[in-house]
Amino acid sequence: MNEYLPYLSELLSEALSGISFILPEIALVLTFLLVIVVDLFIPGKNSVNTSAIALTGIIISAYLNYQQSLSIEKGLSLFSGSIVLDRVAIGFKLIFAFVTVLFVVFIKGNTALKRHNKGLGDLYMLLPAVLLGLNLMAMASNLLMVYISIEMVSIASYLMVGYVSGEGKQTEASMKYALFGSACSAIMLYGMSLLYGFTGTISLSDGNIIAQLSHIAEPAIALAILLTLVGIGFKLSFVPLHFWSPDVYQGAPTPVTAFLSTAPKIAGFAILIRFLIPFYGYGAATGIQVFDFETTITVIAIATMILGNFAAIWQNNIKRMLAYSSIAHTGFALMAIVAIYQNGIRSLLFYFTVYAIMNMAAFMIADQVEQRTGEDDVRKYKGLGKFMKVEILCFVVILVSLTGLPPTGGFIAKLFIFTSAFEKYQASGSVWVLSLLVTGAITTVVSLFYYFKIPLNAYLREPDREYPVSSGLNFISYVILALTILIIVLGLFPSILA
Amino acid sequence: MSLLSLLIFLPIVAGILILLLPSAWQQRYKYVALGAVLLQMLISAYIYINFDNTLSGIADQSTFQLVERIPWIRLNLGALGNLEIDYFLGIDGLSMPFLVLTSLVMLVALLASWDIQKNLKGYFALFLLLDCAVMGVFSALDFFLFYIFYELMLLPLYFLIGMWGGVRREYAAIKFFLYTLLGSVFMLLVIIGLYFSVTDPETGGHTFNMLHMMNPANYAQDSIFSVIAGQEIFGVSARLLAFIVLFVAFAIKVPIVPLHTWLPDAHVEAPTPVSIILAGVLLKIGGYGILRVCLSIFPDAAIQSAWWLGLIGVASILYGALNALAQRDLKRLIAYSSISHMGFVLLGIASATSEGISGAMMQMISHGFLSSMLFFLVGVIYERVHNREIPNFRGLALIMPRYTVFVMIAFFASLGLPGFSAFIAEAFSLIGAFNSQSINGLLPRWMAVAGSVGILLGASYLLWTLQRMFFGETRLWGGDEWKAKLTDVNGREVFALTSLALMSLALGILPSLAFDKMNASVLELIQLMNIR
Repeated sequence: MNEYLPYLSELLSEALSGISFILPEIALVLTFLLVIVVDLFIPGKNSVNTSAIALTGIIISAYLNYQQSLSIEKGLSLFSGSIVLDRVAIGFKLIFAFVTVLFVVFIKGNTALKRHNKGLGDLYMLLPAVLLGLNLMAMASNLLMVYISIEMVSIASYLMVGYVSGEGKQTEASMKYALFGSACSAIMLYGMSLLYGFTGTISLSDGNIIAQLSHIAEPAIALAILLTLVGIGFKLSFVPLHFWSPDVYQGAPTPVTAFLSTAPKIAGFAILIRFLIPFYGYGAATGIQVFDFETTITVIAIATMILGNFAAIWQNNIKRMLAYSSIAHTGFALMAIVAIYQNGIRSLLFYFTVYAIMNMAAFMIADQVEQRTGEDDVRKYKGLGKFMKVEILCFVVILVSLTGLPPTGGFIAKLFIFTSAFEKYQASGSVWVLSLLVTGAITTVVSLFYYFKIPLNAYLREPDREYPVSSGLNFISYVILALTILIIVLGLFPSILA
Repeated sequence: MSLLSLLIFLPIVAGILILLLPSAWQQRYKYVALGAVLLQMLISAYIYINFDNTLSGIADQSTFQLVERIPWIRLNLGALGNLEIDYFLGIDGLSMPFLVLTSLVMLVALLASWDIQKNLKGYFALFLLLDCAVMGVFSALDFFLFYIFYELMLLPLYFLIGMWGGVRREYAAIKFFLYTLLGSVFMLLVIIGLYFSVTDPETGGHTFNMLHMMNPANYAQDSIFSVIAGQEIFGVSARLLAFIVLFVAFAIKVPIVPLHTWLPDAHVEAPTPVSIILAGVLLKIGGYGILRVCLSIFPDAAIQSAWWLGLIGVASILYGALNALAQRDLKRLIAYSSISHMGFVLLGIASATSEGISGAMMQMISHGFLSSMLFFLVGVIYERVHNREIPNFRGLALIMPRYTVFVMIAFFASLGLPGFSAFIAEAFSLIGAFNSQSINGLLPRWMAVAGSVGILLGASYLLWTLQRMFFGETRLWGGDEWKAKLTDVNGREVFALTSLALMSLALGILPSLAFDKMNASVLELIQLMNIR
C-alpha cells in the first residue's frame, strides 16, 4: 500500500477533475436514489410521483448531455483512461435518453403493466440505473469498463424482462435471457482476461494493446477476440447469438421488448465501435492486420441479414416478427461497422436515431392494437384499418420506413449505410463488401414481404368480426403520430439532425 | 414557385384537402380531385403551347425549360464529403410530352373513377398522391429526387390495386410491389456508385445531378464508373453492369419479356381507373427512364447492348401478341397487347436512330392514349355486368351501337390503321430498326421484319375479338338480365373516350404536333450516344 502513496494525490486530483464531465451520469445516480426514497414513502397513485421524478431526472441528464455536446470539441480521456467523452459518445447518450423517455411514456400507456399488483415503482427505479449503464457503455474505453457497463445494463434488463413474470411464457423468457446472458458475459470475461494476459493492459484508447497483440500468435489472438465478441454479440443479437431474442421479445412485456430491442442494442454497437477503432487505427497506421475484422464482421452481417429477414417471413406473432426485423437491422447496421474507419460513424448515428424512433413507434402501435383488440397475431389484424384509423396509418408509414423506402427517415438511413459501404468498396475493391451490398439490397425486398403483411391484413382484407365504429385517440396515439411525422420530416430534411 | 412545382404539388394539396374534409361530404371528394386534375390539364396545356422547340435539353441545363434548382439537402458526412442533393426540376423534349399525356390520362382515369363507392377518402387521396409522384418522376433532374418520386409511386399503387381491385388483388398488388422494388433497390446501389464517381464541376463535391452524370469529364479518374478507368466487377465492365442493372429496373416497368409477369395480374386485378393509369402512364416511366437515365448516362454501354435490347423488343412484341391471341378475358388480352406494343418502344430505342427514338417516343404517347381508351372500354362492360369473358358476349353491336363505334376506333387505331397515332409510331420504330443496319450497324434487318409480324398478329387478335364479341346475333351468357344492364355509353363516358380518340387521331394526322416538340432533344440524345 505504501508504495502507492506518492501517486495517491495525483490519482485523486485526476478523479476530481473528471467529475465535472460526468454531470449527466451524476444526475442519473441522484435520480436513482431519489426514486427509491420517493417510491418507498410517497409513490402516489399508480406510482405517479415516482415516474415524474424518474422522468425529470432523465430529462435533466439529457439536457446536461446536450450542454456537453455544445462545449466538447474533441475527445477527452477521463478517470485514467477508463472512459472517453467525445462527440460520438454524446450522440449515443442523447439517443439513449430519448429512448428512455419514450420508454417511460410507453409504460404509462400499458395497462397490463399498470394492473400488475407489484405496481410500477420498481420499474421506474430501474430506468435511471439502466440509462447510467448505457451511458457508460457509450463512453467505456477500457476492458474493465466495457464489462462493468455491459453487466449493469444486462442485470437491469433481466429484472425488466421478468418484471411481470407469472405465467409460463414470461418466466421462460426471463430465465432464458438471464442464463444466456450470464453465459455470454462469462465467455466475454474469459476473452478479456486473455487479452489482458497477452498485452498487460486493459486500456483500449492508447493503442498499446494492439501493438502488444501483434507479437502474439494469430490463433491465440483470434480466440481472445472472438470470445470477447461473444459478449458484445449477445447485446447486438447477431447470428449466431440471436437465439434468445425472439423468445425473450415475445415473452417480455411489450414496452420492455421495445426498449430492449432499441437502447441496449445501440449501446452494443457503441461498444463495438470503441473496441474496433484501435484495431482499424493500428491497421491503417502500420499496415499490420492483427485480426481480420473486415471479413469476420462481413460474414456475420450477411448471415444476420439473411437469417433475420427470412425467418421473419414465417412469423405471425407481431412481436416475434419485429424481433426478427430488429435482428435484420442489426445485420444492416453491421454493414456500416465494416466501413467504420471511413467515417461510417456519422451515418451509423443517423441510422440509430431513425431506428430508435421507428422501432419504438412500431412496438407502441403493436401494443395499442393488443390492448384494444387483444390480438398479437398479424393474421388477426383483418380490417383493422377502419377501426384504428390513425394508428394503422402511422404503422404503414413506420413499416415503409423500416423497409427503407422514401420519403421516410428509414430510406435516408439506409442510403447512408449503403453510401459508407460503397465508399469502402471503392477504396478496397473487396468482393466481401460487394456481396454485403448485394445482400443488403436483396434482403430489403424480402423485408417488404413480411412488413407488408400488416397493411395487407389491416386494409386489403375484410374484418371477420365486428369492431366498434372507431376507437378514439389516446395519449399514446398522439405520441405515435408525433413519431411518425418525425420520421417523414427526417426523410425529407435529414439535415436537421446534423 | 415554378409551373412544374405547381404541377407536382397541386394534387398533394387537393389530396390533403380531401383528407381534411368531413366524411359527410364524401360525394364531393371527386369534384375536388376533378378540379385539381383539370387545373393540371390547363397548366400542362399552357406548358405545351409555350414550349420552345429549338431548345434540346438532354445534358445541358441551360437548354432545359422551366428549370428550378434549389439546394435541398446539404449534409456533411465527414470523409464521405458533402452530400449534395438539389430540388432540381426541368423539362425538355423527352419529358414534356409525358406531362401532357399524364394530365390527360389522369383526367380520364378520374372520370372512370366516378362510380367508385368504397372508402372514397382513401381512394382519392391515394389517387392524387400517385398523380404527384408521376409528375415528379417526369420532371426531376436530380437522380435522388427522381428516385424518391419513383418509389413514391409504389405505395399508392399497392393500395389502389389491393383495396379496390378484383378477386386476386392481394396477390397482384404484392407481386407488382416486389417486382418493382427488386429493380429499384439495385438501382439505388448504382445511384450511390454514380454519386461517388461524379463531381460537380462548380463546387467540386459529389453530386446526384443527372446532367453532370452525362458528361464524362465530370467523372473522377479512378472512380468505379469512370469511362477511362474501365473498372471491372466479376470480369464485367462496371459501366456495362450498371447499365444492365438500371435497364432491368426500368424494363420491369415497361415491361419486357420475361420480366412481364406482374403486368397481366396487376392490370387485370386493378380497378378500371388504375388499369388506365398503369397502362397509360406507368409503363411509359420505364421507357422514359431508359431514355433519360440508361441511354444518357451510359451511352457506351447502351450501344454495346443495343443488339440485346432489340432482341428483347422483338421478343416482347411477338410473345405479347401470341399470348393476347390465347386470352379469354378481354382485360387480359389488352394487358398482353400492351406488352406487345411496348416492345416497339424498345425496338425503336435500340436502333439509336432518330427515326427509331422518335418512333419510340411517339409509340409511348400513342399507346398512352389508346391503352387508356381500351381499358376504359373494358371498364364500361365490366361495370355493368361484372364480367368480361370474351365468349360470354356476342352481337354487342346491336344493343350498344355507340359503344361498338368506340371499340372499333380503339381497335383499329391500336392495330395501326393509317390516320391514327399508332401507325406513325410503329412505322417510325420499324423504319428506325430497318435503317439501323446501314446507319450504325446496331440491329440486323430481321428484327424489323419480325417486328412487323407483330403488327399482323395484333390485327388478328383485335379483329377476331371484334368479330366474336360485337358481330352476329346478340347472345349473352347472362341472358335478358344482362341485356337490360348493358346500356349504351353515357355522356361522361363519351366525353372521356372522344377526347382520347381525338388525341390519337390528331397525332396520326399531324404527327408534327409531337415530333416538332421532341425533335431537338432526340437529335441531341443521338449525338450524345455517338460521341463515344
